[in-house]
Amino acid sequence: MTAPAESDVDLWDDAILADPYPVYTELRELAPVVYLPRNDVYVLTRYDTIRDALGDPETFSSTSIGFNPMVNEALAGTSLASDAPLHTQLRAVLSANLTPRALRGLKVVIDEKADKLVAALAAGGGFEAVDALARAFPLDIVSDLIGFEGPVKANMLRWGQAAMQVIGPLNQRTQESFPIAGELYEWCSSVTARDLLPGSIGRGIFDAEARGEIPAGYAGNIIHQYLGAGVDTTIASIGNIVALFGRHPEQLELVREDPALVPAAFAEVLRYWAPIHVWGRRVTRDVEIGSAVLPAGAQAGILFGAGNHDPRHYENPDTFDVTRNPVDHLSFGYGPHGCAGQGLAKLEGHAIVSALARHMKSWTVSGEQRIPSNITRSLEQLQVTGVEAA
Amino acid sequence: MRIELDRPRCEGHGLCEEAAPELMHLDDDGELVLDVPEVDAADAAAANAAVRICPVAALRLSV
Repeated sequence: MTAPAESDVDLWDDAILADPYPVYTELRELAPVVYLPRNDVYVLTRYDTIRDALGDPETFSSTSIGFNPMVNEALAGTSLASDAPLHTQLRAVLSANLTPRALRGLKVVIDEKADKLVAALAAGGGFEAVDALARAFPLDIVSDLIGFEGPVKANMLRWGQAAMQVIGPLNQRTQESFPIAGELYEWCSSVTARDLLPGSIGRGIFDAEARGEIPAGYAGNIIHQYLGAGVDTTIASIGNIVALFGRHPEQLELVREDPALVPAAFAEVLRYWAPIHVWGRRVTRDVEIGSAVLPAGAQAGILFGAGNHDPRHYENPDTFDVTRNPVDHLSFGYGPHGCAGQGLAKLEGHAIVSALARHMKSWTVSGEQRIPSNITRSLEQLQVTGVEAA
Repeated sequence: MRIELDRPRCEGHGLCEEAAPELMHLDDDGELVLDVPEVDAADAAAANAAVRICPVAALRLSV
């Protein structure tokens, strides 16, 4: 048994955050677990290693999902950052209204909204896709669903972005974002049922608290998670849909010919460009990975995008192929902490892919801009021109 | 081999049903029903696929 391989890569370097895939390949080919002294993080790089870790929450604890102690403290008491048995209880309430069965009635509304929005954009011939679509759509859906109104609604985007940013190490991005995330923490610690629209999922969380299904005072933590986890990630994936189909018109053509490919196409977008760059775990005991020992107490970092491009698991992993149907991609995580909002994310993603394929034959993308971000890998700007309406 | 379901953990994502429609299905309420919990060798591959694909690890196989 030996110590894990090492690399002098800085995971949060600006250039790597903008395009991490070359570094993912380098680390993945080096070893399934690589120690990065510059970050004091042990990254998991291969598909099977990542899945095994996510499926073993006793060894890979969620008490350190963030890469600085302040954020882990701030997230204590959320299902995101807790282990069983508290996690089991919080997760049940968090997900009760987010499961596919709970969301079934919403599909029609979401499909209609996407259709209307995309039809209007297609008719205009060109648009800036991040503000007009990638941000506009999930903000609209999530605010209605959770029951946000007034000033909170106006803050959703910046709060959601900051909540993700502060999960990174204590770099400048994290430090600048803490005051903004602090506004979110404060609002969530004082939010009451009456601040959320009647009949909304957010209201439902307070009802569950009143029934004693979660400990008193925990409703705000769950609202916090809906906002922190449900906004920035979906925005990233919708921006990626527009960028990838703009680059690969022949793949759009396949979806247009066979709309049954819509779910497979969205899964491939998620696999190809993971919305979340890295996520943490605390290692609770010495664990053997390959020929190396990952030591107890280590901070692990899970590189979803590296696992999603592992040639040991996916053939031609660097090819964007809507017929692949990678239902087991890692972008939603896996296991007891697997993305609780994946049912909603799929409703939104499928609605957008389907509306784009219905209303547009092709388009050109340019001005693809990314601002380096600690956790979410998202487009900041994307110009769509030359739309050929269908 | 037996398929075991951790009922509280199941959220009804339905990927298992797609992997093994002969062995399980979501009912009208979106609750998972194990139609064939005891699987023989012929169904082992499908059962394995269903267990593997569950995104929240709510299914497992016991011998």
